[in-house]
Amino acid sequence: MPDMKQMSPGRRRFDFILLGAMIGLVIFGALCIMSAVNSISFTNSVVRTHLIALPIGALAFFAGWSFNYQIYDEQWKALYGFILLLLIGVLLFGSYQRGSRSWFVLPFFSMQPSEICRVCTILVAAAFLDRRGRRIREVSSVFYLGILLIPIFGLIMMQPDFSSVVVTLPALLVLLYCTGVNVFYLTLVALLAGVAGFFTISWTYIYLHPELMDYTVVRIFHELSHNGWYIAGFSVIVAVLGYVTWWLFKQFRVYLPSFYFVLASLVVLAGLFGGMFVDHQMKPHQRKRVEAFLAPRSDPRGAGYNILQAQIAMGAGGIAGKGLFSGTQSRLGFVPERHTDFILAVVGEELGLLGTLCVLGLYLLILWRIIAVAYMSGDRYGYLVCAGIFGMFFTYMLVNYGMLIGIVPVAGIPLPFISYGGSNLVSSLWALGVVQSVYAHRLRA
Amino acid sequence: MAVTKILFNARLKIMMALAAVAGGIIALRLIDIQVLRHNDYLQMAERNRTQVIYQTAPRGRVFTADGITVASNAPSFSLYYLGGQQESDYLEHLTRDFAPHLQVEPAVLSAKLRSGATSGKAVLLAENLSTKSMVALQELQLYYPGIYLIEETKRNYPYGDFASHLLGYLGSMDEREWRKRDPKLGYRLSSKIGKSGVEKKFENDLKGKDGGVYLEVDYRGRVKSIIEDKKWAAGSDVYLTIDFDVQKAAEEGLKKSSTGRGAVVALDPRNGAVLALASAPAYDPNIFVPYSDLMPENSAKKINEYNLAIQGIYPPASTFKIITAAAALESGKIDTERKINCTGRYNAGSRYFKCWGKHGPVDFWEGMAHSCDVYFYTIASLIGAAPIERVQRLFMFGRPTGIDLPGEKSGNLYGPTRRARNKTYWFIGDTLNLSIGQGELLVTPIKLAQFAAAIASRGNVYRPYYVDKVVSNQTGKTQQVGQSEVLQYAALKPETYDMLFKALKHTVDNGTARRVKIKGLDVYAKTGTAQNPHGADHGWFMAFAARPGEEPSIAVAVFVEFGESGSAAAGPIAHEVLEAYFKQKNARTSLDHEALLAEGGAHA
Repeated sequence: MPDMKQMSPGRRRFDFILLGAMIGLVIFGALCIMSAVNSISFTNSVVRTHLIALPIGALAFFAGWSFNYQIYDEQWKALYGFILLLLIGVLLFGSYQRGSRSWFVLPFFSMQPSEICRVCTILVAAAFLDRRGRRIREVSSVFYLGILLIPIFGLIMMQPDFSSVVVTLPALLVLLYCTGVNVFYLTLVALLAGVAGFFTISWTYIYLHPELMDYTVVRIFHELSHNGWYIAGFSVIVAVLGYVTWWLFKQFRVYLPSFYFVLASLVVLAGLFGGMFVDHQMKPHQRKRVEAFLAPRSDPRGAGYNILQAQIAMGAGGIAGKGLFSGTQSRLGFVPERHTDFILAVVGEELGLLGTLCVLGLYLLILWRIIAVAYMSGDRYGYLVCAGIFGMFFTYMLVNYGMLIGIVPVAGIPLPFISYGGSNLVSSLWALGVVQSVYAHRLRA
Repeated sequence: MAVTKILFNARLKIMMALAAVAGGIIALRLIDIQVLRHNDYLQMAERNRTQVIYQTAPRGRVFTADGITVASNAPSFSLYYLGGQQESDYLEHLTRDFAPHLQVEPAVLSAKLRSGATSGKAVLLAENLSTKSMVALQELQLYYPGIYLIEETKRNYPYGDFASHLLGYLGSMDEREWRKRDPKLGYRLSSKIGKSGVEKKFENDLKGKDGGVYLEVDYRGRVKSIIEDKKWAAGSDVYLTIDFDVQKAAEEGLKKSSTGRGAVVALDPRNGAVLALASAPAYDPNIFVPYSDLMPENSAKKINEYNLAIQGIYPPASTFKIITAAAALESGKIDTERKINCTGRYNAGSRYFKCWGKHGPVDFWEGMAHSCDVYFYTIASLIGAAPIERVQRLFMFGRPTGIDLPGEKSGNLYGPTRRARNKTYWFIGDTLNLSIGQGELLVTPIKLAQFAAAIASRGNVYRPYYVDKVVSNQTGKTQQVGQSEVLQYAALKPETYDMLFKALKHTVDNGTARRVKIKGLDVYAKTGTAQNPHGADHGWFMAFAARPGEEPSIAVAVFVEFGESGSAAAGPIAHEVLEAYFKQKNARTSLDHEALLAEGGAHA
């Protein structure tokens, strides 16, 4: 650990661009939430909760900033224990709301521990990778990290809270990438997720279009990947394919370690089983989301309704928007979840293209500043923390905007700072506070 | 450490580049949605939030030439509940007060109200209410907020079956028909459209623009506010060339006739304007626009749409003798003063052809006046069938008159050239049959009216028209629709027309058409009795008339199906029609009428 007590009094302790962008988004968000819930029966409770969450978030931000971030590196085991404790606690004492047990209900407000855990997980993973040091390029790093994080994800899935997983996993990938992990291993991890997703989506697609079963190829694929004994056959086919590829490469005098092919085949099979697990675990409303993503207009009153209404709201806003508090789509309730997941639709309708681009611009500004802070960081841990937090916000931005413009399935993920959600706001502000802390202890100007 | 540092920086840059690219793609798609497709989405958003309680605009009125309204609109009312949540006591109170006026069971009404109160949606309580219950409801409305009385209009035909075949009727569209319509015209699936006659022909002019109460609703259809109460725009008025009294006389005459089946067509021989077009049996188009609270007996969805005046084809019988006479006079082969002895039958060589009476020695004038068959057999065999066919063609027999009504029959031309084309033979018997208008010859009543008008105008075969003009109620602009159009000029010698006039007048003064003799008028007429092998004979009567010293101003053809006799069955109707026309027309000629209208236009 290098000694970081080298701050000279003349140095700026805040990254003001990052701070400004953050404050801008928070103000933007507060206005949009008030407008979005304007006509809802529980308006007052939403606005009140948000107004309570704002000072708490400010406190969290200052806490993140004022603590030297290296404390998380030193105390990572305690942090890890804290995460597990929180998650077990919520499973035991949490309240059951809207199909998942993920809330602590306290006298004045509720909190969602998985939101805090999201940031903590990144801090823990960064600390772990920092400790791997020079062995970071070995495959074992990825493997051990997986082992370390499985309990966390397992506990979150038991609530279940998919959105946390959906955001944290890509953030970890970005973290691994920036750590310098061999791209091949990352590709394998991505492949694992890709194969699992591919099977899930294609099964859903076949389920949606039974007429496709008339095609032999589709039927063979479906049968092979679905039924008990056939899966063994499928495994054999994958193994044989892996061997044949390796053999072909050898014939062409391209010598690659056979280990790669074994690994690749294993990943495909793991993906298949992962896909089957997901397919099996998927709840009807989640399957509907996948269906709506595959064919949004097939059932405008049903699953595709939400996304269609959100797009109508955005499109109706035009360039300048209809003005705050006057969007008909949101005010009259056509846009679902308009103060949380679909808040961007409200922004789009009431503030128009200018509003959505403004939010997008502020997000890109924040991302840029996080990268810049990572570049300036005084040690590797600061660098890794920034990379992880960058990955987290990047994912949020991508998924939330992507959902609205129809390139990502509806995942039920809020947009930090803009969406209503106290725990999310507090933990996001805390994360940026940690980034500010890295900035304050930077090495370079 | 240095190596890793470089690697780190490169990867950081890649991540930032990735974020920038993602941001760019998102921005482009946002521009696509919010700028390029803005209008589509805005429209969808507007459709989402608005619900309209439509108010059907009043259709344009239809006037006769003398300014009498024969199709207008009557107010109709619908009652809506937009009150949203209310105490159940209030609803009960409401039910008690309103149920008696709406002709519905209190239980039904209260169920409707309750569903409106729980769902918050706009609920239609009753529709098609008549003016009768309106006053009471309007007063009640003052006491109960949330109750809306929506005024609409309904087609109303004040004279019932008056000119029903010409006016047409209204009906609903099916979905396919609705889809075919231009969306710009604002038709709704529930809109009534003209199904025949003027109502159909001038649908676009008559329609007008519907108004409505535009409600703002939320995603569950709950009424949030009233955006706009848009007033309708009434449709344009249509002015017919029909003369009310003439039409009335024609219809009443047909109703009074022995069989009640027939047709009357009266034309203005100076321009082809239809003065009356009656077909019996007729129907009352009001049955298609009932009020629900008056509960009409749902008897007559079955109507008699068959327009005998343009669709019935029959042999013209003795009225055709005018053609034969014209052909003979043109040929110059006959001497009008030469008498031919009618013994009641005519020897055609192989067989005898009968006359309907025994007339003794008759000259041309007597032959026409008494419609002596033997006289016409004789002159027909003298001139042959070809000239008769030629004159038929001059008056466009066998072709439709071209009146702008759907389904007009063309009738059938009869003559040797047609036979030749069909490669069959023409016998002397055919010539004799042709000369008295029997055989394969077929005409419609309107064809015969056109023929009468053509004789009256000395050869102008006009296309009959029945709509004069369309006057917009919004701009006051007049659009002239009816145009006098000569289809063909029947070029006979002037002397031929003179002699035909003389003969037809003689028929009225001394012959079979004595029934239409009217004091102070020059009436020209010819009767006809069409032999019907399947039943009673049909009666024909054609006439035209003029005030002394003027040219003829009305030509009429009357047909009574199974009337047995032209003069007895059809004659009185023709008399009524002529009388109705001239009774008032003494006061104002058609020229005066135009002057009157021009004056009115100047004031407007």
